[in-house]
Amino acid sequence: MKQQPGKIGIREYLSIAILMVGSKVTEDTPTALFQKAQNAAWMIPIITAAFTFIPLFLLIKTMSLYQNKNLFSVIQKLLGKYLGFFVCLLIFIINVFSISFDSRTYTTIIRTFYFNRTPIVIIYAILMGVCAYGAKKGIQHIGSVAYLIIYYAVLLLYLAFVLCTQDSSIQSLFPIWGPGKLELLKQSSLNLSLFSEFFLFALIIPSIASYKDFRKGTWIALVYISIQLSVGIIIFICLFDASLKGIGYPFHTAIRFISIGTFFPNIEILFFVIWLMAALIRFTAFLYINALMFGQLFKIKNFEFLIPALATIYLLIGSIPESPYDLSLQLKPILRSVIGPTFLVVSITLWLVALLKGEFKHEKKRGSM
Amino acid sequence: MKKKEAVCRLLLFFVIVCLLTGCWDRQEIEDKAYVIGLGLDRSKDEGKIKVTMLLANPEVGSMQGGGGSTEKPREIVSFDANDFIAAKATGNSVISRDISYELLKIIVVSEEYAKDKEFIRKFYDILKDKDIRLDCHLAISKEKASEYFINNQPKMETRPHKYFQFMINHGIENGFIPDSTLFRFFKTLERGTDFFLAMYTTAAMEKNPQIKSEDEYMAGQLDATGELDATQFIGSAVFRNGMMIDKLTGQETRNINILDDSTNIHDILVDIPDPFSDDQLQFAARVMKTESNKVEMDLKGQRPKIFITIPLKIEIISNPSMVNYTEKKNQQIVKKQIAAHIKTLNEKLLKKTQTKFKGVPYPLSMYARKYFGTIQEYKKFNWGKSYQKADIHVKVDVEIVDYGKRIKKPRTVGA
Repeated sequence: MKQQPGKIGIREYLSIAILMVGSKVTEDTPTALFQKAQNAAWMIPIITAAFTFIPLFLLIKTMSLYQNKNLFSVIQKLLGKYLGFFVCLLIFIINVFSISFDSRTYTTIIRTFYFNRTPIVIIYAILMGVCAYGAKKGIQHIGSVAYLIIYYAVLLLYLAFVLCTQDSSIQSLFPIWGPGKLELLKQSSLNLSLFSEFFLFALIIPSIASYKDFRKGTWIALVYISIQLSVGIIIFICLFDASLKGIGYPFHTAIRFISIGTFFPNIEILFFVIWLMAALIRFTAFLYINALMFGQLFKIKNFEFLIPALATIYLLIGSIPESPYDLSLQLKPILRSVIGPTFLVVSITLWLVALLKGEFKHEKKRGSM
Repeated sequence: MKKKEAVCRLLLFFVIVCLLTGCWDRQEIEDKAYVIGLGLDRSKDEGKIKVTMLLANPEVGSMQGGGGSTEKPREIVSFDANDFIAAKATGNSVISRDISYELLKIIVVSEEYAKDKEFIRKFYDILKDKDIRLDCHLAISKEKASEYFINNQPKMETRPHKYFQFMINHGIENGFIPDSTLFRFFKTLERGTDFFLAMYTTAAMEKNPQIKSEDEYMAGQLDATGELDATQFIGSAVFRNGMMIDKLTGQETRNINILDDSTNIHDILVDIPDPFSDDQLQFAARVMKTESNKVEMDLKGQRPKIFITIPLKIEIISNPSMVNYTEKKNQQIVKKQIAAHIKTLNEKLLKKTQTKFKGVPYPLSMYARKYFGTIQEYKKFNWGKSYQKADIHVKVDVEIVDYGKRIKKPRTVGA
């Protein structure tokens, strides 16, 4: 397969997707889900993935009408100049907060577990600086680096999981339905934001080698990530049992606890390094997509030059919450409850408008001609 | 132009190298004092605790070929403090280096303080501290923790971290002490359905101790003489909701460890009454637990019924009554005897936990969970209450893998 310049193939796309969405298992998402659904929390990613399937399917269907166009141009085309602009602005603003809060969470993790004395601003600045540097290089570089480390990241994640099983008991998963079946369905529908990043990938369609790659990659990534998230939560529930509700970052607590035999205790540094690289890729890609949105929104062609400025703004927004508690107990739940429905509504509206405008019929005609 | 670029890149590398020091978190091994053991006692002052720190000297024994250091391998310091985290700073007025809990191996709490209501409130600070790892062990000492560390003077393993690591690991493998990591302690506490066992230790021997069977001792009761360290690790302390309520002997602790599948018990050596002798002889056996227990429960009805099946592999090592084990009949007798013996031991122990402790000292409630569909139903069942009136049946599946090396009796003179 020949690679087109400036474009990424399916494997790079998959790597970015897995690193961006799959890394949720290593931050505070398992705890947030556990607080909602107790020991049945592991079912939520799978049920949510099933829920996400519908809007994502509609979105991909709509996007297929306009190959080589990204989400924002499609929105503006379908919803008109003004309404389209506002919808895009809304999505952009939500993502600004999302990236700011997420990067702050990662900074907090690094500080809490590894660099206790370093001021948070310094860690944050280094994190954003590295991400800005990477993002400015463009999507192709991000894709290559993501593909470089994806195997290490996934392998080490599973190594950590396997080591965790030494001290866990499978009985923690029972009672099997946790808080009850209805409650589970309710919580799953409230947690649509788990996979909201997938909608953002519709923005980089023009950078992906072919539309088929995008479609295929998205489905593979969705299935894989929901399983990985689910497995991760099962492992944490079996390891921590009821005390998981009080552990902010279970992955990092777990890697500090596990050891390879008695001869290799304290092995967290092995996992930390790779986790850090995965986190860098995650925010680099996130930053790139955000800059892309901004450029599209305000018609700026060389949006790469905006990245350092945007990174600084995100750093400032991320520094606003005083403590990590404000962040993960107050601000993030609000954001999570907004993101999910927004993407649901946007993708369904887009599909409906396309249907009403008869775009699908045109396409068929064009296809038959 | 190219030269300029290369120089710029090189400069960038040098700048990045500065980051490698870890900014504010730069640490010098030379500058650190690692606390290996932490002792907690009640202070004379109300609301305060007495903190004892056992610090290891990293210079001793670390050099190959026995480097020239003549320093002592450890340093012990005790003082009153509000909590053991801020005590790190107070400790620096005595200790020259920066005190760190990163390599903490054992936390020793005196029995007196563990029975205090205040204890758990102070002890919860561990979860807040960023240095302490949850694989550190919790031990309860008979005497004051400050005295315990001073009296504990290992003769062979002078380096404290190695001493505690080996002592604890082998104790757990023998089953004399429970695997009482902080991780399990807090997990049990949060679960709130079972009791927790912490290892029991002392460095003060009892006066005129009785001679008992091989595993019926508590720490301090074994009358060991010779040129040795007085410290003994055997038995366990029972914790209910983070407060010590009772003690278990080494034998009881062993039985709990056999019942508990989440501990890592290897093979243990026990004495079992010999069925072929009239004058109470006992034969030695190696008990191996390679498979998990099977637990079945019938939780409907007034009295819940619990059936526990323990699969054990047994190797008979000694044969004091000189029985011929090649005969099938004798094999059957000894098999039955072992099963009955272990069964009564366990049932007696579980009865004791039901009536005396009013709770089970290992995570038995975990097996009950799968009989419920939702958490609400499980909570309504109320394991803590139901366990006390439960009807427990223990069955031991004995498989004898070896009857010993010798088959024939020695010939008696004149017969």
